[in-house]
Amino acid sequence: MPSATSLLLACRPQTPFDSAEPGQFVHVDTGRERAFRRPFSVAGLTDDGAVELLIELRGEGTRTLAELPVGSSLAMMGPLGNGFRLPPAGSHAAVVAGGIGVAGVRHLVQRLESAGVDTTVYVGARTADALLHGVLPRPSDARVATDDGSAGMRGTVCDLFATGAGALAPDTTVYGCGPRPMLDTLAAVAARSHLACQVSLEEMMACGVGACRGCVVPTVDGYRTVCKDGPVFDASMLVAAERTMEVARG
Amino acid sequence: MVDPSVEIAGLRLTSPLLLASGTVGYGPEYDGLVDFGKVGAIVTKTVTPEPRAGNAPPRLAETRGGMLNSIGLENVGLERFLSDKLSEAAKLPTRVIASVAGKSATEFANLCGAIGERDETAGLELNISCPNVERARLPLWADPAGVAEVVSAARRATAKPLFLKLSPNAADVLSVAEAGEKAGADALVVGNTLPGMRIDVETRAPMLGNRFGGLSGPALKPVNLALVWRLSAGVGIPIVGSGGIERTEDALEYLLAGATAFQVGTAIFRTPSVVGRIIDGLAQRAATDGINSLTGYTGLAKEVETPCQRTRAD
Repeated sequence: MPSATSLLLACRPQTPFDSAEPGQFVHVDTGRERAFRRPFSVAGLTDDGAVELLIELRGEGTRTLAELPVGSSLAMMGPLGNGFRLPPAGSHAAVVAGGIGVAGVRHLVQRLESAGVDTTVYVGARTADALLHGVLPRPSDARVATDDGSAGMRGTVCDLFATGAGALAPDTTVYGCGPRPMLDTLAAVAARSHLACQVSLEEMMACGVGACRGCVVPTVDGYRTVCKDGPVFDASMLVAAERTMEVARG
Repeated sequence: MVDPSVEIAGLRLTSPLLLASGTVGYGPEYDGLVDFGKVGAIVTKTVTPEPRAGNAPPRLAETRGGMLNSIGLENVGLERFLSDKLSEAAKLPTRVIASVAGKSATEFANLCGAIGERDETAGLELNISCPNVERARLPLWADPAGVAEVVSAARRATAKPLFLKLSPNAADVLSVAEAGEKAGADALVVGNTLPGMRIDVETRAPMLGNRFGGLSGPALKPVNLALVWRLSAGVGIPIVGSGGIERTEDALEYLLAGATAFQVGTAIFRTPSVVGRIIDGLAQRAATDGINSLTGYTGLAKEVETPCQRTRAD
């Protein structure tokens, strides 16, 4: 296991995925007890055609997956959604992941690595036990932060990123995945440093294909679906969640 | 193999399975995932005169045996529906029923007139029952006089079949159904979701941004099934059963209770392929039962003595 509360699953689709853009997701059926499938980022594609999922054991759906015997079948739709756009050739990248957000950027880091993009990786978690940088290429190069200081810097991954953001090359694209408050902070830090920033969002989804309009987030262009328009958005598109709630209730 | 086609409200459909409004978008979203060849008709996302942004998120929550949604009729509005969505939906190998909702009888009539005159439109579903949209006085779905006014106006605006979608939340659904029938509805859809909510015990806040949402899925099935049973005895127009259908047996229950057709919605979120399984299952079952048309099941349960009645007779 990559950490005490997560698991890396390799799934071999009946129809192999030709490709999946980094940041795309699959929609996984976790059994008839639950009305919705669960969206998981494609955390990587292996050479022999397996889709890798990095899963945090969070609720009943993920526990059901964790308890499946090796060799079980899963119903999975994908790859779905719009992923990360890779940076222009010769430019720099900074990847910032909080908690299970590593799942959303692992495939991206692999692609940046194989494309030879100069990339700095920042990974945060509550404790050293929960850090997931071990599943990334060249884990020892990742800069880490923990809330309790048990590994790396004490603080959030955004604190860690902010300490060096000013020193990043101006052509750096910042990529983020993690809890929404972390992404809002990251977006603010990137904006202050005039860096382009793309973030991957997570919402509860029903259809996964843009039909039901259930997983929307407020953007400067109105509500957009995380499943079809996202899950990756330009950070400059997003409107902080609390503000729209006030407007909608006011 | 039994031919699964049915005739309802003057429409010959390839199967009695319709995809419920709100779950299938405008149709193309599910291209490649749903076997539309086995779908009698899709019912589009409800269209309103102007575009609607919908309710504040979160809009979804799971429940034991179902789900809650508070989408709030987010849709592209009539103009874009006519210019893009309707013709895109019509490219699918199924029929298109457009769901419409207005704030007044006039708005319903305008929607039905504009959409009904298009060749792509097989029929219209009058959504008088969305639980996620506020109305000043009595909710429309509980107001027989208001419903009569809406259906009459829609009837004058189009000759296309009108499906009236009822709410199981009305205290006197039969009066609403009768008002709809008398005013010219061709069929009833029974029915929409029930209002419900969930609260996050950690944050102590409602899980839905709109606080309340519509309950759908298996938990709703017995409620709407009982309504189909009751209404099919009280009205003369055909009934489309809807609520919690995810297996062949669920669909069969609705037919046996008196439905001529049925809608599948929530089930396609988890299993888009359920469409083919239900129709193939019904056709196989009919072959075994020696029934040569699926409408042969309609209302059959009413001709069977219940165990309770048998006991009393003894």
